[in-house]
Amino acid sequence: MGTENVQPSIVQQVVQLAQLDNLLAIGRANSLWPMTFGLACCAIEMMATGASRFDLARFGAEVFRPSPRQADVMIVAGTISKKMEHAVKTLYDQMPEPKWVIAMGNCAISGGPFVFEGQYGIVEGADKFLPVDIYIPGCPPRPEALIEGILELEEKVTGTRRWPRVKAG
Amino acid sequence: MNLEKIKQAMMALAPQAPVVEAPAEVAPVEGAEVPVAQKGRPAVLDTDYAKKGFTLDIELPPENVVAAAEILFKEGLSIEAVTGVDWIKDGQLEVVYDFIDWQWHGRVVVRSRVPRDNPQIPTISEVFAGANWHERETHDFFGIKFIGHPDLSPLLLPEDANFHPLLKDFKA
Amino acid sequence: MSHLAQTQTQETFVLNLGPQHPATHGVLRVKLVMDGEYIVHAEPVLGYIHRMHEKMGENRTWAQFMPNTGRLDYLSALSYNFGYAAAVERAAGITVPERAEYIRVITTELNRISSHLLWFGAFVLDLGGFTPLLYAFDDREQILDLLESVTGSRLTYCYFRFGGVYNDIDDNFVPGSLAFIKRLRARMPMYHDLVTKNIILMKRLIGIGPISAEMCRRYGATGPVLRGSGVQFDVRKNEPYSVYPEFNFDIPVYHECDSMARYMVRMDEIEQSMRIIEQACNKLPEGPIMAEKAPKIIKPAPGDYYFSVEAARGSFGVRIVSDGTNTPYRLKLRSPTFSNLSLFAEASQGMLLADALALMGSLDLVIPEIDR
Repeated sequence: MGTENVQPSIVQQVVQLAQLDNLLAIGRANSLWPMTFGLACCAIEMMATGASRFDLARFGAEVFRPSPRQADVMIVAGTISKKMEHAVKTLYDQMPEPKWVIAMGNCAISGGPFVFEGQYGIVEGADKFLPVDIYIPGCPPRPEALIEGILELEEKVTGTRRWPRVKAG
Repeated sequence: MNLEKIKQAMMALAPQAPVVEAPAEVAPVEGAEVPVAQKGRPAVLDTDYAKKGFTLDIELPPENVVAAAEILFKEGLSIEAVTGVDWIKDGQLEVVYDFIDWQWHGRVVVRSRVPRDNPQIPTISEVFAGANWHERETHDFFGIKFIGHPDLSPLLLPEDANFHPLLKDFKA
Repeated sequence: MSHLAQTQTQETFVLNLGPQHPATHGVLRVKLVMDGEYIVHAEPVLGYIHRMHEKMGENRTWAQFMPNTGRLDYLSALSYNFGYAAAVERAAGITVPERAEYIRVITTELNRISSHLLWFGAFVLDLGGFTPLLYAFDDREQILDLLESVTGSRLTYCYFRFGGVYNDIDDNFVPGSLAFIKRLRARMPMYHDLVTKNIILMKRLIGIGPISAEMCRRYGATGPVLRGSGVQFDVRKNEPYSVYPEFNFDIPVYHECDSMARYMVRMDEIEQSMRIIEQACNKLPEGPIMAEKAPKIIKPAPGDYYFSVEAARGSFGVRIVSDGTNTPYRLKLRSPTFSNLSLFAEASQGMLLADALALMGSLDLVIPEIDR
């Protein structure tokens, strides 16, 4: 899900291509373009993360693209209803590789507060039909949590954590 | 809006009993059953707004709801909501209409009961265009057919939904 | 004024707007039959975020349903807490102490301002202006700080309880609110100078999307949509509840019926909410924040009850049918945006698509509230 398998045919190209791989990974991680996919309440916290106080632009990810063809990462922010499931899958399929999925909020992780005995309307989690890379719990998660999720995704893409971790307490 | 005129017109639509005061509130009995349909209650009831949130409570047979809506439309009221209630123990579904007037402190509620095995009631969407969506939603949730409605396709449920989730015996 | 295209041919095509679209404010799909750039027929398709609130109402106890109310219209979640809590209190005969009522009003009005600020930013974003969103969010974050210190949440509040509120305000809340009001009052002229009086915004909104009062009556529209069409109707004055009668505030009404009128109604409402908060902060009484005799397990008397409050988007109503047990028998949530959007099909006929989006933004939609 991110780094492509390169099959070099000439041995000395392996070293040079590995460096190129790392360079590409850093480039991708530093400019993740999310798709505007706010479904419900988490969308507002996603907007707040992109807005003035929390400023996702510091991490290169403020360019929210409405079109899936231009996006790298789909932040599933909100509850996925059964009626919407098909549209979500279509949008995911339309994104070009390499692509990632962040499940933001409890609804995208496992259905959230809307799971009850006899529920008829929602899909209990985005990972029922999408390959999810990062899970951000919360209802809704704070903007800082979404930023941490983006940084975790960057770690997944590049292999190293490039921003300091905030220690609790 | 003339409240007396509305009350007279509504009583004419269901001439059963004159307007009476709302019965005294009865304390709930521990473990009480769902109250049985209020058979024989007066058609037009004055209710205490402070206790109930509405001023006039009208119960009509299903065939008269369009005439009631026309009276309320002529008197200048606006439609607030249309919904249903499933009284499974009585074998009936109740359709509840709420109306307000912008210059009046109060609310008019019109109710009608239909049998649960064949729930049909005429649509009021010709009178109040907003009832169109409310009735579609009520059909989605309860399966009540609104006769004359231009398009009763699912509004909130998926297009191919053939279940009615708010019925008490609905199993997912 | 909207006008139909003068074309010789009758060639139309179907355009799908949404459900994923930056300007639909949630998952709304609109099936448009277009004649070039003009809309022949617009049909909103709902249900993409139907989260079964009314069914959950029957599967939860009265108190367990409270978190759901914050997730209906999450932008003005406290109004929805208010409507549900007050409906159950009416049914169960619980009286709320005065201090709790004041705190409810102050927090709800702060929430209303934050909702209008977000609407303002998103609306101008739809029309193409990105920067006001950032300024509006800056102000909104200050409100969220205040509300977070009291309620613990930033967005989907679950702060009210039957009989009051669960947490008292701290010492910084009142000075913080008054300082915030002073700051926002100084910033509002900037919003008006840069945005409201902007020639592009004026050309995009004035005369666009006329909605008459008669159309509002037929569809049941309420809130700023109705007040922008010349009707002075606000639940806080029409069916007064809580301690609103004790405050001095106006209901802004504009008679032009176009999108600019609805825009101005909301901008003026921000000022009126600030007035209410100031008066409430200055008159805040001491006392308990929860009713002493509030029962631990709520079991309202059998029957049905209705309560209506003025949310940021219109009149939010809760109809509860109780059978005397500790779970609701039926819980109907009357959503203001549902009625407001239902007039979109009629109002958008013959409009240019870009104008229809301006109309949709001026209706102030929050789709999860429509789909419930």
